[in-house]
Amino acid sequence: MRLSPSTVFAAVTCTLVPVALFMVFVYVPTEADQGIVQRIFYFHVPCAWAAFMGFGLSAIAGGLYLFFAQQLWDDIGYAAAEVGMLFCTLVLITGSLWAKPIWGTWWTWDSRLTTTFILWLLYSGYLMLRVIGEDSEQVARLAAVVAIIAVLDIPLIVISVRLWRTIHPAVLITRSGEHGLEDPRMVQTLLVSMVAVTLLYAWLFWLRLKTLRVKSRIYQLRQTLASAQVTEDATS
Amino acid sequence: MLAGLRFLLHKDLTLERRGGRVVLELCVLSLLVLVVLAIAYGPEAGGRPASAAGALWVALILSGLPAASLAVAAEHENDCIKGLRLSPLEPSTIYVAKVAGVGLSMAVSEAALLLLLVLFFNLQFDTNLLRLIPILLLGALGLAALSTLLGTTTSRLRAGEMLLALLAAPLYVPELIAGIKASTAVLGGSGLTAVLLPLKILAACDLLFVTCGYLLFEYLAP
Repeated sequence: MRLSPSTVFAAVTCTLVPVALFMVFVYVPTEADQGIVQRIFYFHVPCAWAAFMGFGLSAIAGGLYLFFAQQLWDDIGYAAAEVGMLFCTLVLITGSLWAKPIWGTWWTWDSRLTTTFILWLLYSGYLMLRVIGEDSEQVARLAAVVAIIAVLDIPLIVISVRLWRTIHPAVLITRSGEHGLEDPRMVQTLLVSMVAVTLLYAWLFWLRLKTLRVKSRIYQLRQTLASAQVTEDATS
Repeated sequence: MLAGLRFLLHKDLTLERRGGRVVLELCVLSLLVLVVLAIAYGPEAGGRPASAAGALWVALILSGLPAASLAVAAEHENDCIKGLRLSPLEPSTIYVAKVAGVGLSMAVSEAALLLLLVLFFNLQFDTNLLRLIPILLLGALGLAALSTLLGTTTSRLRAGEMLLALLAAPLYVPELIAGIKASTAVLGGSGLTAVLLPLKILAACDLLFVTCGYLLFEYLAP
């Protein structure tokens, strides 16, 4: 029996996500200063990683689409950005849920929060372009250009905690250059969560890409049919 | 390249001198936005640098985006852009000329915008206003570079002006933040050190937008 990639992704993801949940809620020790709310970190950071990966992939696919003009790259860019947007939204939501008990507010215009929100706005514009614009080559080209420019915000988000005065914690790499996870079980849980969320991203991306490939094929067939109809009308 | 650039800029400026559509739209929209914000802030906003700087940049972006869209859309009338693409001019030359044209129109309207700002926000006619000029020019250049690049495609699409705003406004946010900070510092009479970092951010964003447009315009122009 030959397994399809989506079945493999689904099987591995559905195995690893419960393991990650077990580690987050049972295995990892509670952080001394922040208490139980710190556990949201094991969702927040992997979601940020998945979002950055998705937007990076979308920009690379955009560049390849501009260069080779193949529909496959456009579909990859669209699917990667769409699923990346889902994870970017989760980053903002989980960050806000963490901020309320720790900072006493749902939102503050901190440099990292602001640059992340700008990234979310950039890709919401990208998705609006895809929804409102027609399925045409010019929309695909503009979307590729927007993806390439928008991805430049990601390095800014990463270095924002070092560039400006900020209240956002620098946990993975602290301001002194070390990592801020004192217990090895915290590192293990973070790594398992990262792999689980990456696989979840890959599975969702694959499903979305398959749908877009079918849509593109239908569009091509309609175009071929329409041009054949025109030729037939002209000859008859 | 320079001869082509001069030729295209001359064409755009001649059209603008005869019709004045872009500058007119910029001035009228800026006036409307300033009036709305002055009413919203109330009389207590008078003389407050932060309110005036915020209103100035909101007026700049809200009037600049539709005006740039109008300027770019003019090239699509009678397929003028296709004529330009058939000419021996490089796509990047066409882009730089359009950015220069739109940027100059914005610079002219900014002079009117400053005058209105002084009147509505009860500011003083002093040297601080002159110090605003480089900040505003950098802001106009960034907005012109961005809206010309994206507007080349959006002006050919359904709901193109809305799409341009949706795409360009988030990209312009870093310039907006830096511009408001620099303008607040200048209107508040702060020294050069308070303005230096926002000015560097404005210049860096301008460089980024112009470079992206220069390299990517040929993929967007029909």
